[in-house]
Amino acid sequence: MSETQATNQHAVIERAPGHSAMQLKDVAVSFNGRVAVRDATFDIAKNRVTSLIGPSGSGKTTLLRALNRLHDLTPGAKVSGQILLEGTDIYRGDVTVTELRTRVGMVFQRPNPFPTMSIYDNVVSGLRFNGIKKKSLLDEAAETSLRSAALWESVESRLKVAASNLSGGEQQRLCIARALAMDPEVLLMDEPTSALDPIATLRIEELMTTLKERVTIVIVTHNMQQAARISDDCAFLLMGEDRAGELIEFDTTEKIFNNPNDPRTLDYTLGRFG
Amino acid sequence: MNDLTQLDEPVEITQSMREEIRRVSHSTRARRLLISRFMTTLCAISLAIAAVPLVLLLWQLIQRGAPQLTGTFFTKVPSTPTLIAPNATGGLSNAIIGSIALNVYAAILAIPVGVLVGVYLAESASKFASSLRIIAQTMAGAPSILMGLFAFSFVLQDLHVGFSAIAGSFALAVLMLPVIVISTEIAVLNVPNTLREAGLALGAKPHKVSLRIVLPSALTGIVTGSILAISRAIGETAPVLLVIGGGYLNSWQPFNPVSALPLSIYENAKSEWPSQRAQVWGAALLLVAFVFILSLTARIWASRKQKVSN
Amino acid sequence: MIEETVSDLAIHGQVVEEFGSSTTSRTWYHYVLLAACVVFAAVSVGFVGSIVQKSWPTWIHHAGTVITGSGWQSPTGPFGGLAMIVGTLETSIIALVLAVLIGLGTAISIVFFLPRSLRNIVATLVELLAAVPSIVYGLWGYLVLAPWMFKTVDPWFNSWPFARTLFGDPSQQYGPSLLLAAIVLGVMILPTFVAISREVIAVVPQDLIEASLSLGATRWQVIRKVVLPTSRIGLFGATFLALARATGETVAVALIAGGVAKVQFHLLDPGTSIASWIATEFGEAQGNEISALMALGVLLMLLSFSLSLVSRWLVSRQRKVLAKV
Repeated sequence: MSETQATNQHAVIERAPGHSAMQLKDVAVSFNGRVAVRDATFDIAKNRVTSLIGPSGSGKTTLLRALNRLHDLTPGAKVSGQILLEGTDIYRGDVTVTELRTRVGMVFQRPNPFPTMSIYDNVVSGLRFNGIKKKSLLDEAAETSLRSAALWESVESRLKVAASNLSGGEQQRLCIARALAMDPEVLLMDEPTSALDPIATLRIEELMTTLKERVTIVIVTHNMQQAARISDDCAFLLMGEDRAGELIEFDTTEKIFNNPNDPRTLDYTLGRFG
Repeated sequence: MNDLTQLDEPVEITQSMREEIRRVSHSTRARRLLISRFMTTLCAISLAIAAVPLVLLLWQLIQRGAPQLTGTFFTKVPSTPTLIAPNATGGLSNAIIGSIALNVYAAILAIPVGVLVGVYLAESASKFASSLRIIAQTMAGAPSILMGLFAFSFVLQDLHVGFSAIAGSFALAVLMLPVIVISTEIAVLNVPNTLREAGLALGAKPHKVSLRIVLPSALTGIVTGSILAISRAIGETAPVLLVIGGGYLNSWQPFNPVSALPLSIYENAKSEWPSQRAQVWGAALLLVAFVFILSLTARIWASRKQKVSN
Repeated sequence: MIEETVSDLAIHGQVVEEFGSSTTSRTWYHYVLLAACVVFAAVSVGFVGSIVQKSWPTWIHHAGTVITGSGWQSPTGPFGGLAMIVGTLETSIIALVLAVLIGLGTAISIVFFLPRSLRNIVATLVELLAAVPSIVYGLWGYLVLAPWMFKTVDPWFNSWPFARTLFGDPSQQYGPSLLLAAIVLGVMILPTFVAISREVIAVVPQDLIEASLSLGATRWQVIRKVVLPTSRIGLFGATFLALARATGETVAVALIAGGVAKVQFHLLDPGTSIASWIATEFGEAQGNEISALMALGVLLMLLSFSLSLVSRWLVSRQRKVLAKV
């Protein structure tokens, strides 16, 4: 099933057409000319969890943020190569960036509910941004996504309360619910549990296992055990000598952790360098 | 929390809901993007509108003021132009000396008291302290003409001191006090608690901790606050207008009438002589330059001290 | 701002308990600090008391006239303060509206639309402009803006169909006017408002901005629904500070408004404000008139203290709203 050559750094998993949520081809991101990450070529499979792992500085977060065009905010940032969402190039294709972001959602490292909004308003904020006003629709979407984030039962009675009253783990699940309310095809998660305690982390990891049936997940994590636990596919990135991150290997998680092709991957998974 | 039990059933979003979300967001997109474009352009236009008078003011200040800052300006007292000598305005040395005197006296009056009160506010949680804090905040926003009225009422009338520098300095000191109190309190509160705790843990008495550890650490902030208070007092006209008397002499004695730069500007702006009206641009530029230099100094010093402590 | 550090006080009050505790001995340190506090309290009380005391005769005999009378006959009276009150309100409110409308967009532009290299320079420039003494604004308004308005804008204004009703008889307009004073005031308080607004807008966490963008919000939606609400407290503070500065402004208004003690609704005609009237009339005033001017001062004091109170109340209420359970 997987084809890898020893000299070829880009492992490509052949998939049947229509099974990829997103495809990356030779994607590179540079800031004012300085390359931060390059040679990213792999497919993100639908309804699976794909993790981006590697030591700090390897460009994982930079790569993730290219997937919903967050780098548009940074002057001097340039994304080259092709990123396809269901076949459409997200940078050069016929899709506006606001539309793209309704289809590719994001959850951030630190929980960031909007501080001036209640729990309910936070969850439906995405829908409201996109012009949806019908109360029944908003209510339904709120309940659905809060249930999906395993938060409904604890907040159902206090939806109008300020979101800052929740604990860290609950706030992060609120942010997940907020992103899910938009019914995205892909959910990007940037180290979503690194700011949380172990119990909250565990809850969210369990959540991801059920969520992937509904939405494709791409997660950046610096915690390899987490990657081994929850992801189906794994992309290993490493900073090269030119201080640019590059994709070393991409394969199923099982292969990456048990029998990787590249010795550097093995070194990393064995904890030989952080 | 019973959330774990919910995980067994993934909740599906209904197809009709999904379609409606897509439909509405798609149909409203163009309009929303247009509104965004329009409003952000409006903001940019605001910036342009704001910039015009302000940049123009600075530009004209320099353009008209710089030629006025001659040696004569700094060294000669004013004279009145006459028909045969319409440009014989003299200089504004009286105002410069007066301003310096006024502010030095005011600083001497205000800074020690203000700093001490600020330190007290930072270190005490008593009701007295809370009241003083509210008083300081309220006084800090009070119109400066009232300080002039206070000085007139107290120094001139009650104490029977005539128009004098000390009366003006009193008004300026009352103006500066609350500002210094507030900025000092902030500076002292910004000293990390860990420093205090370390001192106390070593067995030092609380007041020694304050004196030897906390205050030196807060010194930069205190000095910055005082400098900024001075830079505000320099430019104030209303507090001194009623009580310093003005005059053409180079006087600086506390109990004699004295002039001041803002006062000269105010008096000469309406002069019938174009040369005098032109001269006040120089005074204005001097004032602004002073304020500018003081603010910059305060800022540079504050950031340098910060780098050292980091 | 001070409010935020007050909560830290509770911590400090526990760490350094000397002022609350009766068991530790008072040293000279405490006494010196307390002495300074007494001086400060005395000065503050004296500030209010002195002016009230000097104005007392007016309040006893002519309280009504001061507040509702519209003429000011120097030196004998009657001394009517209504023109000054109305003028103060008119000029400051117009100035505030101008400053907030333009200033908000300016602050937003500085934070979000200027390239990074310009941002710091412009921010510094704005703070500097906020520190420029008001006499300089008054000077500029009087020697530059007023003549320009008279030459260029007034004739154009008069061609409007409603100019006469709104603004008064065109033949009377030769310079000094309440509108002009309001505009100069607006220019003066604009940097103050922008400086504070810019700072509170700039500290809205980037996280929140990215999160809202990631949900598909447009730039304006991010600003309007996330940035501005989050910085609401600071924006209120900026507004009140700007308003306080406008109401208390003396010399700029004195130079430009014309100094006419008449209740004025035609904004292109001259008028006056409380502070500027005190400043211009005080020089020649004697006895009763001084007392009347002191009474005006009391009115100004009441206005300023009320603004301060409302501002504090609003800020504390916003805080409670954010923390609501």
